[in-house]
Amino acid sequence: MQFVYGPQVVNGLAIGVAVILMALGLTIIFGLLDVINMAHGEFYALGAYLAVTLVAKGASFWLCLALVPVVMAAIGYFAERALIQRVFHSRDRHILTLLLTFGLAIIAEDAFKLAYGPNPYKPESPIAGASEVLGITLPNYRLFLIVAGAAIIVAVWLVVYRTSLGAMVRAAAFDRHMASSLGVPVEKVYAGTFAFGVALAGLSGVLLAPIYSVFPTMGKDFILMAFSVVIVGGMGSIKGAVIAGLVLTQIQSISSLYISPVWGEPLVFGIMVLFLLVRPQGLAGRLGHG
Amino acid sequence: MAEAPALRAAVDAGERTAIGAHRLLAGTFMLLALAFAASAGATGDTFFFRLATEALIFAGLAMSVDLLLGYTGLLSLGQALFFGFGAYVSGLVLKHVAPSFWAAVGITLLASLAAGLVAGIISIRARGVYFALITFGLAQVAFKVVFNTREIGGSDGIIGIPQIKVEFGLFSVDTQSPAGFFLVTLAFIMLLYAVCAYLTQTPFGRTLMAVRTNESRVAFLGYSPWRAKLAAFVAAAVVAALSGSLYPMLRGLVSPELLAFQTSGNAVIMMIIGGVGTLAGALYGSVLLTVLKSVFGTFTEHHLIIIGGLFMLSVIFFPKGLAGYALPRLERWLERRAAAGP
Repeated sequence: MQFVYGPQVVNGLAIGVAVILMALGLTIIFGLLDVINMAHGEFYALGAYLAVTLVAKGASFWLCLALVPVVMAAIGYFAERALIQRVFHSRDRHILTLLLTFGLAIIAEDAFKLAYGPNPYKPESPIAGASEVLGITLPNYRLFLIVAGAAIIVAVWLVVYRTSLGAMVRAAAFDRHMASSLGVPVEKVYAGTFAFGVALAGLSGVLLAPIYSVFPTMGKDFILMAFSVVIVGGMGSIKGAVIAGLVLTQIQSISSLYISPVWGEPLVFGIMVLFLLVRPQGLAGRLGHG
Repeated sequence: MAEAPALRAAVDAGERTAIGAHRLLAGTFMLLALAFAASAGATGDTFFFRLATEALIFAGLAMSVDLLLGYTGLLSLGQALFFGFGAYVSGLVLKHVAPSFWAAVGITLLASLAAGLVAGIISIRARGVYFALITFGLAQVAFKVVFNTREIGGSDGIIGIPQIKVEFGLFSVDTQSPAGFFLVTLAFIMLLYAVCAYLTQTPFGRTLMAVRTNESRVAFLGYSPWRAKLAAFVAAAVVAALSGSLYPMLRGLVSPELLAFQTSGNAVIMMIIGGVGTLAGALYGSVLLTVLKSVFGTFTEHHLIIIGGLFMLSVIFFPKGLAGYALPRLERWLERRAAAGP
């Protein structure tokens, strides 16, 4: 029993934490700014490509892990200032921001092809070997990914719910005008939150690079799963994203024992559609709303 | 109350000018297309005819995006689902049932009504950005399903779809004839345009625009926004599928890429550049995007960077698009002419 399901559960967990990191970025950005970031997958890919470049220049994987999110946060900050803020006060801001980030995604994907070519890169796994847990052999890197990912998710939760910075974010999400009149620098909070979400996407790009390969359309292939997680979890909900992320990736992972893996995504998405018909608002409430 | 009839007359005159400007814009497109056909036909060209025919087919897809986005306020990121669906149904009919234009178009019409209804009932529940994500997801899943189903060709698609003759009773046009099929496509797409433009003038069309402006108020006035949105969704699905049904006749093949996000995204780009909420913008946007792609495509294979950049600039600085820029100017011109006239 555990020899059949065990590896699938662990693999599903490894993918799960990475998907959750992506989904957290998406859901926090949506919860605060009402922006669907269509370029989130490309930010994820950019994180992975930055890591590939830095490793090729001789940096260690661990340095990348620390450096890439910082760089990505800076990129995210400028993207928000230059693009999102420009149309933020328009009546159609939902659609306009979606279109702008979509345009950004088109450019980014082609830029990756231009800079790195269409072929996949596969960075060396920074932690070699495997260990036995309960009689199942598991690659060490995947175990590390699960632990590190879980730690980051907890840290995000702590920042949002236990710091004054997080309180400002939640206040701005609940009522932007009220927060602003209480002295919260709302525009900076917006840009900072966007940057934070983008940094999370970049971070999961670095973390997943040694498991999957790095290629120009990697973001697009991954984003549907992240969107599904965000929708099922409830747009703008951190708790919902974590639960939905774990459940959906487990379904995908375990179902691959019974059906061809190519059908895993349609299955997960079918579940999402059914769920949406029953509970359109998702699992949990929005950021700043309880 | 004395001003009421005068006000009414002024509103009617404004409406007439607006409709006139739309007709002028669409008529100009038609004339430009015919002029192109005459010059390309005179030089015996094939390549540009085929490219222009494809641009027209994708204009139909862009029009279906506009029915939802421009008139109902729903951004569909998965309109390629119906476009590809129409192309596959038409391709399968032509290959396995009957090599007849009317059979392919007729069966596509019926099948897309059903498909649009099912997908509509699922997607209409979602509002705002959720709608965009749901349509995105539905199309993405349909793409994966088609890509992995070997019975309909899997990743290769369906090839070897027979060339047919389009029978018009008195005469027939071979789909292999570049000029002939271009004209058939032009007539077909302009007919779709006319039907869509007519729809927007009906009470149904006005309900859609009211939904776009203020959905809850529509409900308070006793209309069902749900029904209006579903009808718009089905209409858009049919328009997209009918446009798609011409694709296998043009290329002799269909491939899963027709359902891919890129196809949906291109239709949105065409519509933004062409002008959302104008319908005629779909025609101009599609042609412009096709021209840009082939012009930049000759210099670099990374033309998407330029297209994406233009698209973003258009969203920020030129949000009304080409047709949205032209229409008010045409209206003013028509008004001046009417004032100067009798």
